[in-house]
This record gives sequence, structure tokens and C-alpha cells, in this order.
Amino acid sequence: MDAFFASIEQRDNPSLRGKPVAVGGSSDRGVVAAASYEARVYGVHSAMPSKIAARKCPGLIFVKSRFDVYKADSSKIMEIFRDYTNLVEPLSIDEAFLDVTTNKVGMPSATIIARDIKKRIKEATGLTASAGISVNKFLAKIASDQDKPDGLFVIKPDEVLDFIESLPVTKFFGVGPSTARKMHDLQLFTGGDLRKADFSMLVRNFGKSGIFFHNIANGIDERPVVTHRIRKSVGIENTFSQDLSTRDEMLTELRNLEKGLWDRVKRHGAYGKTLTLKVKYSDFEQITRSHTFSDYVTDPKLVHQAVIDLLNLADMEKPVRLLGISISNFKEKESEGPVQLTIKFD
Amino acid sequence: MKFVVSSSGLLSHLQAISRAIASKSPMPILDNFLFSLEGQKLTITASDTEVTMITTLDLETTEGEGVIAMPSRILLETLKKFPEQPLNFEIDEETLAVDIVTEKGKFSVVGQNGEDFPALPQIDEDKASNVQLSADTLLTGIVKTLFATAEDELRPVMNGILFEFTPDNMTFVASDSHKLVRYQRLDVKTDYEASFILPKKPASLLKNVLPKEDGEVAVSFDDQNAYFTMQNYQLVCRLVEGNYPSYNAVIPQDNPNKVIVDRVDLFNTLGRVSLFASQASNLVKLHLSNNEMVVSAQDIDFSISAHEKLSCQYDGDEMEIGFKSGFLADILDNISSSDIVVELSDPARAGIFVPHDKSENEDELMLLMPMMINA
Repeated sequence: MDAFFASIEQRDNPSLRGKPVAVGGSSDRGVVAAASYEARVYGVHSAMPSKIAARKCPGLIFVKSRFDVYKADSSKIMEIFRDYTNLVEPLSIDEAFLDVTTNKVGMPSATIIARDIKKRIKEATGLTASAGISVNKFLAKIASDQDKPDGLFVIKPDEVLDFIESLPVTKFFGVGPSTARKMHDLQLFTGGDLRKADFSMLVRNFGKSGIFFHNIANGIDERPVVTHRIRKSVGIENTFSQDLSTRDEMLTELRNLEKGLWDRVKRHGAYGKTLTLKVKYSDFEQITRSHTFSDYVTDPKLVHQAVIDLLNLADMEKPVRLLGISISNFKEKESEGPVQLTIKFD
Repeated sequence: MKFVVSSSGLLSHLQAISRAIASKSPMPILDNFLFSLEGQKLTITASDTEVTMITTLDLETTEGEGVIAMPSRILLETLKKFPEQPLNFEIDEETLAVDIVTEKGKFSVVGQNGEDFPALPQIDEDKASNVQLSADTLLTGIVKTLFATAEDELRPVMNGILFEFTPDNMTFVASDSHKLVRYQRLDVKTDYEASFILPKKPASLLKNVLPKEDGEVAVSFDDQNAYFTMQNYQLVCRLVEGNYPSYNAVIPQDNPNKVIVDRVDLFNTLGRVSLFASQASNLVKLHLSNNEMVVSAQDIDFSISAHEKLSCQYDGDEMEIGFKSGFLADILDNISSSDIVVELSDPARAGIFVPHDKSENEDELMLLMPMMINA
């Protein structure tokens, strides 16, 4: 999507249209989450500290981010993708890889599909998207950046090597500022330089990534488009260097696991209803005990209490070699069915 | 210590208080009944620390005094197996041996030291409030509200029944944020304002024991505990701490579309039609037009559907509103009066259910949030 957050803000607030807009906090510690094309002209880009952005672009309008809205638009877009293929690999909230080699709509050309998708996105969200089409993920991603905004760029199979030849290494997947500096020191500036570079030299300097750089410089990227598997649970477990025999020891270890679990729950936004305690005894017998809450757990204190309760349900006669806790039973995707309304107490 | 007690009399008292005992007791001693003999009076206590139930029996034949904790499960199971007969309890306070001697046999268990049984929480006299309620009023208030309490770990206050006392009236309130019940008694007045939140467990214990009671119940409470003293039983419990949300604010006042309908007719229609509702949503729809209500449901997955007409008094706007059938049935089941008034404004706002014929001392209101189709 083109300047996704900023375009949504301009769509929903006509007074922002045609003006430099930055989504993000304007405070001293704020960071630009997205910049409209009008702001990009001044060199404002995402992840730039707001302070610097404001200096670069004097009339820059800061807008608070509204992630709920962005997510809603994002899911509309992802739904459209899935009308064409099930092989959709979301890369972020506003971009995804689609493998349309075989597709649901029986269209022979990826270019036609891309045009169709762009049109439907425009109709559904009022936003523009840029598509990149090529023979693998690396080149498709590069292509999508070639013609922004509202672009459609194709790198055909017989154009691949020519295209890579002049491509700056900074555009390569996995080449950040420090790798770029290293490559520049080695006189590697373009895809052509990389292709001609000695394979063993690349591996020596960049390790495993060297193999990857060598391959993609030759137009080879065999990574399949993988649809993200649906996460069913988030968990953490630990096998102890020495078996635990007292309840206190177990509670201490569980306390640590709870912290780790909660970090993961927060990271994945995976708030579930069911907490499961796994206990493996020294004789390798394994039991699980679980508790299902009436609502999605968003407070780690509840986890702590439930862990204690679950431990009480477990047999403590034998030494314990492993403890694990996990949360599952996540919120289902927004159902299309009727929704029970709730009373809004203060 | 010795006493003689009728097997069935003892059983009925023990059964009533045994519900206080937790299936997983927080302390081993709480798997016991506490027996305490003082003169001719036998007091038996069961507790899970949060809720304690106490009952007393007046006995004719006793010897000595003392306290002992007796294992609850085996005692209850044994008593159920006895035909009605006098039982001689012979307790050795030194060895804690308990012999239950019958005409034909002897049943022996080992008790525990009654002194280990946790003491009852005391009401703080400075903060205490006292009120007398009839057993009937208390029972009605609990029965009408208990079904609407929540199961919400995050907001424990919602898991109980609010008891609110004012100089004008007394109010029972419960809500799980889908439904809300407000039951007021205009004949219970206090010269102060006070309130407490009674947790679900003691509320349901009271619900079970109150039908056996008549007369007055003395309620005394502070900010942490409450005592309910009845003629045969006493219940002591910890209260839910925290403030109940302001429930009056969420009851919509302006509901122009009022329908008067026979409660039992609607309940029975709902019972039939709801069998055809989607198992996922349990949605039933009420379609209202001039003096007619159509209750309908369908389950697309199984290609089944049903609708049934009901006559009613209605001259409001033609409208359709959806409810979860189980919630609606709960409301209809718990409201008094043969005709009810359903007050509606639009399909996205709460429905208010009140009795059509109000009794003199009661003010009863139930609120149910609708279901939105593709909200």
C-alpha cells in the first residue's frame, strides 16, 4: 500500500489531502510511523524522529495513529488477496506476497490479477496500492517499490539479470546500513558486482547471508510463499538442570516462566482463555492441567493465581524435571454472525 | 462428651450446611463439620473460610460439653444410609475417637481437634449496619437477581448481588453486562444509606436454606463481612470488596415502543422457536407490528427455521429486535406477573422488561441487551 497510514488519514480527513502529513507523535520522543508523499518530498520518512521531521518539513501536520482503522483496512485488503489465492504471506500490515502461479480466478497473467486487485482495493478502501510482479519473492518485492505510488511494475524472466545488474546493493533484502558499508568497502555496489564476486569471498565475509546474496544476484530465490500458520497457543517451558522436589522451588521457576509467557503473549497479542500447566516428572511421565477463564486473559495476575491453582491440582509426590505453561483458546476471527451487545458501565 | 440425636434430623441440618464445604478445601480441617455441645444445644459449623454456615439443634439427652471436628463426607454418607433412629454419639476428647452407637452396631471415626477450626470473622462494631428482612423478601431478592450475576475474574464486583439500603427502599442488583436486574422493595427502609456485595456462593446457599425459614432474618454487615441470622441457620460470609458500577445510569429512560404481552405465552413460544435458532448465536428475533409479535429463529447450517405469532398490545413503530434466546428465557422465567411490558427504543438498544401489574411494595426491572445482526 502507498503511504498506508498517511493515506488513510488523508482519506478520512479531506483537509489533510495534498498536504505533508506524518502519522505519529509530535512530542520530543515521538517517531514518524508513516509520511504522506507530500512529506516525503522533504525527506521525511518513517522511523524518523518527529523532531527532525518537523525541522525538515516546516508545515508538517502530525496526526495521531489510529491502529484500529488501519487494521480494519488491512483486513479488507488481505481478504481481497485471498479471493485470488490462498498462498498469501503477509509481510506487514499493508503488504503481502501472493503466489498466483495457480489462482482461484483462472486468470493466466499475474499482471491482469495485479490490475484487478489494485482496482478492488481502490473500490473497497479508496486507497492506492503498488504491485510488483516477478519470478520470485525478492524480485517481486523490489518491483513493488519501483513505480510507487499507484504503481505496477513487472520484471519479466528474461529481464531479471539485466535488472539486477544495475540494482544498488542497498536495495537487497537483508542489506542494512552496516552490511552496505561492508559491501562498499569490498567494492560491491550493484547486483552486477555481487554476481561477479567470488562465491567463497562472499561466504567468508557474510557467512550464510553470502550464499543468499550470491543466489539472489543470480536471480535465484527459492523461498516459497508461506501462509502464516494460525497460532494455536503461546507457551514456554523449561527443563531443569536438577529435578525440582519442593513446591517452593516449583513456584519460583513458574514465576520466571510466567514472566516469559507474558512477554510472548504481549508480543503476539495472543490473549487466550485457557491456561495449561505441563509437568514432566523425573520418570518422564507427563501431565497437563488446564484452567479456562470466562474471558480472554489480559492481566498477568490472573495467570499467576491460576498457575498456583493448577500446581495444586498436580501430583507433587515425584520429582519434576520440566515445567511449562501455555495460553491457548484465542479470540476467534471476527465472526460475521450476530453480536451480543453489552452494557457500557462507566 | 455424649449426645443423642435423631438420624434424619441431623442429616437434614448437615445437608443444608454441607454446601458451604468446598470440594477442594483450602485447609484439611475444613473437610470436617465442627460439632460444639453447650448444655442441651448442639451447634454444627461448615466452612470454606469465605463462607461459613452454622446450624443449631436442641437435644434432650446430652452429657458433658466440648468441641470436635468430624469428617464430613463419611458422616453424611452414613447418615443417608440409616433409617430414622436415635444415634448415640460418644466422643473421647483425649483420643478424638468418635463412636456412633446404634441399637445394632457401632460406627467409629476419628475426629480432629475442634480448636483448630478457623474462628468466625468478627463484624467491626464501629462500622456495622444492621437490618431486619423477612425471609421471604430476602429469598425473592436473591432468586430474582442471582441468575444475572457475572463470572468475571476481572471485575469481581459483578460476580455478586448488590444489596443497597436507603431511607426510601432497599434494592437488589445483579448484572453480567448482558442483562441487568434491579429489584426494589419499598417496604424495607433503613435510617441510613449502606450497601454491600454478596458473592454468588453465599447467595446460592441462602437461596437453598431460606425456603425452610420463615420470620425475620437479621442481617448485620461491615465493609468486609456479613452475618445472616435466621431461625435455624446462620450464614457468615466475606463480602466482595469494591464499588458496584452505577447501574441506574445504564437503564435507558426513553423507550417509546412499549409492548404488553402474556409472559407465559411468550416463554412457551420462545421455548419452541428457540430450538430452531443457530447453535452458534442462539439468536431469536422479535418482530413487532400493530398488536402482533412474531418470534422467529433459523439455523442456516441445518436449514431449519421457525416462526410463531403472538397477540400483544402494541401501537409503536414496526420494528425487529434480536435477543439471545437463553437470556430472554431467563428474564421471562424470573419476572413476576402474568402480563409483562417490554419497553424498546431501537434494535441496538437495551430492552426493558417490567411486570404489567405492579405489586404494592415491589419495583422490578430487568434489562436485556439485544444481539445485533452483523454489527
